[in-house]
Amino acid sequence: MSCGQHHQTSCQDVLNAMIFFIDKEISDSNQLMAIEVHFQECLPCLHEMEHERKVINQMKKLLTTSCNENAPEDLHARIAAQTALLAAQMSAPTQFVTEYRQTQTTVITDENGSVVIEETHIQIQSTNELGEFGKDFPLS
Amino acid sequence: MTVTLWPMASEIEVKTPAGLLATESAADRANRFTKDAMQFTNQLYSAALRYTKNAHDAQDLVQDTYAKAFTSFHQFEPGTNLKAWLYRILTTTFINTYRKDQRRPQISDGEIEDWQIAESASHTSDQGKSAEDEVLENMPDGDVKSALEEIPEEFRLAVYYADVEGYSYKEIADILGIPSGTMMSRLHRGRKLLRELLVAYAKDRGYAKGFDESGKKSGSTSAEGGES
Repeated sequence: MSCGQHHQTSCQDVLNAMIFFIDKEISDSNQLMAIEVHFQECLPCLHEMEHERKVINQMKKLLTTSCNENAPEDLHARIAAQTALLAAQMSAPTQFVTEYRQTQTTVITDENGSVVIEETHIQIQSTNELGEFGKDFPLS
Repeated sequence: MTVTLWPMASEIEVKTPAGLLATESAADRANRFTKDAMQFTNQLYSAALRYTKNAHDAQDLVQDTYAKAFTSFHQFEPGTNLKAWLYRILTTTFINTYRKDQRRPQISDGEIEDWQIAESASHTSDQGKSAEDEVLENMPDGDVKSALEEIPEEFRLAVYYADVEGYSYKEIADILGIPSGTMMSRLHRGRKLLRELLVAYAKDRGYAKGFDESGKKSGSTSAEGGES
């Protein structure tokens, strides 16, 4: 489709690229310049682009004012509590080692009246897991 | 005689291996998270409503998102876009949790090659332009929200992130975890569907002037009047 005049870049090409121009997604500076030159030369395309841009901006405005719901107060509170809980679980040891130490002291008195003291040390160590806390959450 | 003395109480010691301590303490992480991430709760909730379409699920989705974000907060690169990172987690959480058991027809991306704006790639008459402007200027907020809910989820989210959050194509593709080309076609089709719905609403309520019975813009053919 053409406005009837000859341009370096065709109306069809410009109209197809128009949405990328409006969304500022054309990074190729030559392409951008070709489109800008076309808009200077071709009023129908310029008007089409301006209309399209106006409609998109109106839609953005409508959407932005319609979709600005605030989270309910208790959601803020729930998230704060959840963060505190997760932090507490994270700072708790994930593994703990318990060591039991006992010393048995034996006092032996022989018939001569001399005293012998014997000490026996007992040490028991056990390792326990606290659970899955603190594990990284996989971000699929 | 043998006397055995036991200590009154056993000595008990609990040791935490040093390697288990993270470089950032949990308290520091919580403070940083609260300061940096919690400010986006309202925006995350608003986006969540676009996914779930109901307030109850949207709240749960936001809460779950914050739980996942906190536990993987060390993976977030400071200096990059935190809100976009949260939106990415929101998306994966939604897909993993809320959509898991749902058998829903997926939009086929193979058929989306027609986004090429075929219908709008023509010079519209001034009459058609002003009719569309008028519809949008008089559109009530509630209608916009219902129209957005009516379009398929894939399109809705692309439109939301582009036109409400103002993200670039690349950023939206990253948030939604889809290729850029797919994201573009969804955005353009979504915008088109939304516009068509709003015009249909306007017709129903009788505040659309300048639209004919078929719902098309009157005089919307090109100045040349022909298809090329």
